[in-house]
Amino acid sequence: MKAYSITRRLIIMVLLVELCSAVCVSGVAYIYERHDHFRAFDILLSGRADSVVGAVQSSDDAQDSLMLDGSEIDIPHDDIYDVRDATNRVLGHSAEVVDFAQAFRPSPSRADKIDPDGDEASFGNVEFHGKAYRVIRVLGVRVIDPGEKGGMRRTVVVYYGSPVHRVWKAIYRAVTFYALSSLVVLAVTGVLMSWLLNRGLAPLRALASGAAAVSVTSWTFDAPASARMTRELSPLVNALESLLLGLQQSFEQQRRFVGDAAHELKTSVAVLKSSLQLLGMKPRSQQEYHAGLERCLLDCQRMEQLVAQMLTLARIEETDAKSAGEHSSDIYACLQDVSSQLVTMAEANEIHLVLVGEDSLYAALDPGQLKLLCTNLLMNAMQHSPSESVVTVKVGKTDGFAEIRFCDAGDGIDAADLPRIFERFSRSDPSRSRNTGGTGLGLAICKAITDKCGGAIKISSEIRNGTTVLVRIPLSRPGRVDAVQPLS
Amino acid sequence: MRVLLIEDEVRLAENVASALRDGPGFAVDCARDGEIGLGLARNLCYDLIILDLMLPRLDGLSVLKRLRSRQDHTPVLVVTAQSEVGSTITLLNCGADDYLSKPFDLGELLARAKALIRRGKGVAHPTLQAGELVLNTLEQTVLRAGSEITLSPMEYRILEYLMHRPRVIVSKQELLEHLYDYNWQHHSNVIEVHVSNLRKKITRTDEALASGTSIETLRNRGYRLLLSRTPGTYADDGRDGEA
Repeated sequence: MKAYSITRRLIIMVLLVELCSAVCVSGVAYIYERHDHFRAFDILLSGRADSVVGAVQSSDDAQDSLMLDGSEIDIPHDDIYDVRDATNRVLGHSAEVVDFAQAFRPSPSRADKIDPDGDEASFGNVEFHGKAYRVIRVLGVRVIDPGEKGGMRRTVVVYYGSPVHRVWKAIYRAVTFYALSSLVVLAVTGVLMSWLLNRGLAPLRALASGAAAVSVTSWTFDAPASARMTRELSPLVNALESLLLGLQQSFEQQRRFVGDAAHELKTSVAVLKSSLQLLGMKPRSQQEYHAGLERCLLDCQRMEQLVAQMLTLARIEETDAKSAGEHSSDIYACLQDVSSQLVTMAEANEIHLVLVGEDSLYAALDPGQLKLLCTNLLMNAMQHSPSESVVTVKVGKTDGFAEIRFCDAGDGIDAADLPRIFERFSRSDPSRSRNTGGTGLGLAICKAITDKCGGAIKISSEIRNGTTVLVRIPLSRPGRVDAVQPLS
Repeated sequence: MRVLLIEDEVRLAENVASALRDGPGFAVDCARDGEIGLGLARNLCYDLIILDLMLPRLDGLSVLKRLRSRQDHTPVLVVTAQSEVGSTITLLNCGADDYLSKPFDLGELLARAKALIRRGKGVAHPTLQAGELVLNTLEQTVLRAGSEITLSPMEYRILEYLMHRPRVIVSKQELLEHLYDYNWQHHSNVIEVHVSNLRKKITRTDEALASGTSIETLRNRGYRLLLSRTPGTYADDGRDGEA
């Protein structure tokens, strides 16, 4: 596909408009000039015809007949004329003999207008020897021997024609002048426009080169001031900037995650490797070897858990956000299920699990993810609870959202650590510092789940008074119930 | 020798600490986060600090900067999972002495730790020589004029420490600080017993007055490794209990 150029298109459009107007101007000029020239020509013709009439004199014969005195007439040589008297006798004619009576067809429209001295006159066109003539027919009256008797009135018919090619030539010259001037204006406009457009589009080019400077490695986008100050371009600049900023943040987040993941994995490998190397540093007893292998196995399990959680997180992030609305999971049943699974651990640590709240609330969330969310949060709450304490889970409903609160009576979390607690591999994740085998991904997974389904997760904590995690999940439309499937 | 290990990954810290104790026989203290580590390092009783970079509360780089800004010249070996060249350069420029990236080889870590301790005391070679005594830090053997002397681990550590600092008076307190970790109940006469036994083992009984190597006890001041002994300086011998 050919590249589309705004400049070229604009120039072509403007030139086309100009061309059209040039054609119109030429047409109007043609009409006007023709009218004007022919009007002048008709007056000229009428004048010449009158001079021919004036040249008609009485001959000194008995009948007092008329004659044309050729010497009196001074007319261009290629004009034609014919003078007859009332009896149709030819009084005189030009060198060329034309049978006007037959060829002349008057065009009556202008007859009255062009008649300066009251003579009856009419115009017509005649073609003679391949040449076009404009012809005037004048009925002239000659008074012979004016005197006391009043003289004799004699009527003469004068046909006078002049070739029109000269008029047409003049018209043609005038129209050509207009057309040529228009063409010159057209050419000047073309050049001027391409220059002006080039200048006018400079901010766009600056913006393009600014945008071209953005690459995978360099995210800095310096929008040129000229583009930012242009009203048409500033929305584009703003859109580009916010897009780049968003992309950069998301890339930055990904990069940090990859970096953190690499760090965690390397550390896990380092632990395992050092455990094995420590075992091989010197000869040991069979019991020591057994104990060492047990430790290696535990290290392996931790690494396995880390990898599994990283994969879970990746899978949750891949889930289509729209599909969340299609699910419907019974929250209360899910919590009952989770707490029955954790009851042994709770008993071992002498923690009481209390589950209160509304029954039959259905979350628009995949059942497996809901279970993972509840398990993670309940486990966290239990791990941070001292023995002989109570962990409470409350289920409620507020405007279209299910609210689940996980409350423990643990040590609480330092306020400074709270903002970063949902970050992946967060160092302040209490599960890490207390060495309960956490990977620092548990809360990140919870946040990913709630974010994906359009919910929210909040954590509030008081030192020595315990922590409350509040989860808001959108409720599903009633009538759909999914079976709980384990998220593998 | 005493090593401070600042590492938040408990299992890794356990392994490295065991390796340092079992292998070269160093005393090891472990710190779980940067602030604890920095507090422990304030005692200036360490011959080496092994520092992880990603630490809770105070990250490794800040620990390093604060150590150096308070004129602590203890050698620092940084262990980290970050492996970009840029971070390596930053670390070394901030005063780290060596750098090891995770996952590392435990043997390499031990070798680097030993080399850093050696360098920190101005010794280049793993074999130390003082008079007719030759101490091989790799094999942990001591030869006197070509024949091996069998020492207990603690006696070896005392001798190793003294041989790193020949002719310098080393106080009993310093020996205690550099040879025992915090888990040890401090009993100062333990050192006296060990030094007394050590002296008996390394000093030739047959030609006691001839030139040789021995440990001199300076009253209320400490011990000194003597390369060639002259008869006059033998006065305090046998009165370890009053030192």
